[in-house]
Amino acid sequence: MRVSVIAASITAFFAALTAGLLLSLLTSCGDAEPSAVTTEPAKPDPQALELLLTYSSEKKDWIESSVSAFNAAKLTLTDGRRITVTALPMGSGECVDEVNQGTRKPHLISPASAAFITMGNAAAQVANGKPLVGSTENLVLSPVVIAMWKPMAERLGWPKKAIGWADILPLATNPQGWASVGEPLWGRFKFGHTHPEFSNSGLMALLAEIHAATGTTGSLTSAEVRAPAVQQFVTGIERSVAHYGSSTGFFADRMFSGGMGAFSATVLYESNIIDAATKNLSTPIVAIYPKEGTFWSDHPIGIVQRDWVTPAHQEAAKRFIRFLMDKPQQEAALKLGFRPGSPEIPVGAPIDAAHGCDAAQPTTTLNVPSAAVLTEALAMWRANKKASHVTLVLDLSGSMNDEGKVDGAKEAAKTFIRGLDDRDICSLLIFNATSTWAFRQQPLASKRAELLTTIDKLFANGGTALYDAVIEAQKDFATAPAGEKVDERISALVVLSDGEDTNSSASLDAVLASAAGGVESGGVRIFTIAYGKGAKKDVLKRIAETSRGKLFSGDAATIRTVFRDIATFF
Amino acid sequence: MSDGPSIKPAGFAVILLFIAACLGGAWWMFARQAPGQNTGGSATGGADQPATGGASTGAGTKPAVTIGFAYGSEKRKWIEWAAEAFARTPDGAGIALDLKPMGSFEAGQAIVRGDTSIHLWSPASSQALAVFKADWDVRQGGEPFLMNESLALSPMAFVWWKDRLDAFQAKYKTVSFRTIGEALDEKTGWAGIARKPEWGLFKFAHTHPAQSNSGMTTLVGYAYEFHNTNRGLTLTQVLDPAFQTWMQHLAVSVTGLSNSTGTLMKEFVLKGPSAYDCIYVYESTAIDYLKSAEGRWGELRIVYPQQNLWNEHPAVVLNAPWSSPAQRAAAKAFIKFLLSEPAQQMALKHGLRPSNPDVAVLTPDSPFTQYQRYGLRNDLGSTGESPTPEVVLNLVQSWQRSQGGR
Repeated sequence: MRVSVIAASITAFFAALTAGLLLSLLTSCGDAEPSAVTTEPAKPDPQALELLLTYSSEKKDWIESSVSAFNAAKLTLTDGRRITVTALPMGSGECVDEVNQGTRKPHLISPASAAFITMGNAAAQVANGKPLVGSTENLVLSPVVIAMWKPMAERLGWPKKAIGWADILPLATNPQGWASVGEPLWGRFKFGHTHPEFSNSGLMALLAEIHAATGTTGSLTSAEVRAPAVQQFVTGIERSVAHYGSSTGFFADRMFSGGMGAFSATVLYESNIIDAATKNLSTPIVAIYPKEGTFWSDHPIGIVQRDWVTPAHQEAAKRFIRFLMDKPQQEAALKLGFRPGSPEIPVGAPIDAAHGCDAAQPTTTLNVPSAAVLTEALAMWRANKKASHVTLVLDLSGSMNDEGKVDGAKEAAKTFIRGLDDRDICSLLIFNATSTWAFRQQPLASKRAELLTTIDKLFANGGTALYDAVIEAQKDFATAPAGEKVDERISALVVLSDGEDTNSSASLDAVLASAAGGVESGGVRIFTIAYGKGAKKDVLKRIAETSRGKLFSGDAATIRTVFRDIATFF
Repeated sequence: MSDGPSIKPAGFAVILLFIAACLGGAWWMFARQAPGQNTGGSATGGADQPATGGASTGAGTKPAVTIGFAYGSEKRKWIEWAAEAFARTPDGAGIALDLKPMGSFEAGQAIVRGDTSIHLWSPASSQALAVFKADWDVRQGGEPFLMNESLALSPMAFVWWKDRLDAFQAKYKTVSFRTIGEALDEKTGWAGIARKPEWGLFKFAHTHPAQSNSGMTTLVGYAYEFHNTNRGLTLTQVLDPAFQTWMQHLAVSVTGLSNSTGTLMKEFVLKGPSAYDCIYVYESTAIDYLKSAEGRWGELRIVYPQQNLWNEHPAVVLNAPWSSPAQRAAAKAFIKFLLSEPAQQMALKHGLRPSNPDVAVLTPDSPFTQYQRYGLRNDLGSTGESPTPEVVLNLVQSWQRSQGGR
């Protein structure tokens, strides 16, 4: 016994010596760092289990940093597999629709509010006999607010006087606009919100409009939604909007960068107001918590109840949710302007007056109605929303024949047109070295099939006269469709191009001057698509942003998604 | 040709022997390390990772048995603590707990359907067990429970934001389902109640009676208050037209209807008086959030109903075909731990009144001592008894008729 102990001690001594030598050899000969030796498990890396989260884009910065921290922590399941998370931002409506339509298979979804879970579960129950997600947890919160420029809010009596939806919304429909409250220099009262079918803040804005029309603060009923007076009120407000959109963040950026002339008020989240405060704008923006009540954007997260979510995915999903609710992540959310979803974290700065907000607000909320009433409200909105006048400007130069671009663009354009409303008007201007009107100011109610057939017949060849085409297309908006005023519709150009202008007689400066010309009158927004590797993104971005539109990028594989995103503006 | 030193075969043999000895020694050193001293990178079961959703209990050892524990989410904080503490005990080493916070009825229905992942269940009250047992008798038959122990007690309570309670009492004097119904009927809301139009409509919430034990208990509270009794509720009293009319009128004005008491309480704290002026939940759930609420919207107040009921938080070991003898023994061991003095003292910290008579309620650091100014009372006087499952089911069905698919 004693001998074996001595022998073992000698053996252990040599073992330690050898280990030291081997470590020296490793550190002197290769790039491996000592820390890698201790943090990596001795056994081979187990196969990772990947979680896919789709979530509303309002919390993109927070989710991205949290996912990075989670993946870096290398947490594992009980079976030893490492958990990795991939997170995709999108509109709240898409989060639920993609699962219900089977176009994507996430394991977790997190729209901006429980209203989308309510609607998604109701739709899933009808289609599949079971809900989309089970119980949910609120990750972070942010009340829906009316964002206003501080001088404008003060003109309406803020902060001494409580302001509500019923004060703001009629102003948006008043032809005298700001003149009706003694500020004629501020022009029309420009109100905006995102697309109610895609974006939570847009849906909440619509519900607030209906509440303002009924004068009630209790749960909305189908009868109230269907009432002619309500529809008339909603129509009046919707006619005043410049365009919609799926991203509340984009809407907020447009307001912040456009100044007081772009929007007087928009429906945003409190977190957007805090974001504005950090940008040091020349004129501050404040959050108005409507006196009748507002809605909470409570960012629920839930595990998808579908067969692709295995018990291991559920275990991993619970672990990830717990991580998001932990103190470090919740405190990071507060810094970004969200109220923490963990009750353990007190609400404080930056949710304060210095950032245009008030942590003691809101004092009351409006009820989110049942799924049936929500569906009815959206149908009513679609029937009464502002119709669109859209011109598609398609590049058919010879380079579009490469990589299947022309076929991809044609199919995506057809999908886009199928998604427009019967009340919309559409034009199609094709260009290579010259521009040709293939379809001009035609109502989709009667001409949709003809337009789709026209697109099928298109082919590509020749040069690129992008600038001439954009100017030509924009001039067409000077003439309103028969019997209408020029600004009665959402007016937009959707310009798709895959390369550099080679044949225009007009210059880029002329295009930019033309794009800027419509801005003051609330005119034509230009949405540009940089299509494929050769597209001139910088040029297309300048054109889009000058008109207060937006640049999108895509290729033959993604162009459908691009057109779908653009469709949310109408 | 090099003229340096060369190694002969004997030299090679010595070196090989040396390396073999070193490797042998290294193996001996690592092999004698005690289990649990694993230095691997896995975070599973680490100190900062509560044992949720399948977390293992031992650090680095493969558990001998895994049991699924379905429990009411109102006990979540306590149970998560207990799972970690149990794993550090000799009885808990080798037992993996798969924690499943679920609504009482959700769990009961899962067991009846044959959810083989559940071996131990703790709903909020014995009423949930009674309703479950009636269903089990029809679908499975036989005695479903091997062991049934009350883990802790908690009565029901109205939880208010202080400023709202003050304004409410100034007009209605007492808090009851009757006066709450009157406030819900006030068309102008707080403008009519307390000249506070900025507070909007009066908003009261409880959980969904068909999905959550506390919601079902709320309906029993409705009935006991209406009939001014706290025991022996009969079917005749439930079906009394006057009671039916009153309850259904009250029911349509109630908001929230969450399927979980814990979730409702959390929403109450997160969204503040903008979303709810008052909710009806377990006393323990309210206590668990008293301090965190102050960091958000201000102080809470607890008011007890005249006719109260105890929720016993029973824990039952399932006598189910999918539960092995080892799983049944593991479930019993965890119940034993939950009833131990350290676990019961922790339950008290989370607002649950201990079942273990050796653990005093009114200790200096007990919430029932520290939080009396919030309205907490140790002595509730007379409390009621649970009605029969038949009476409870009729109550829930009557309530559902008022909802119209809500």
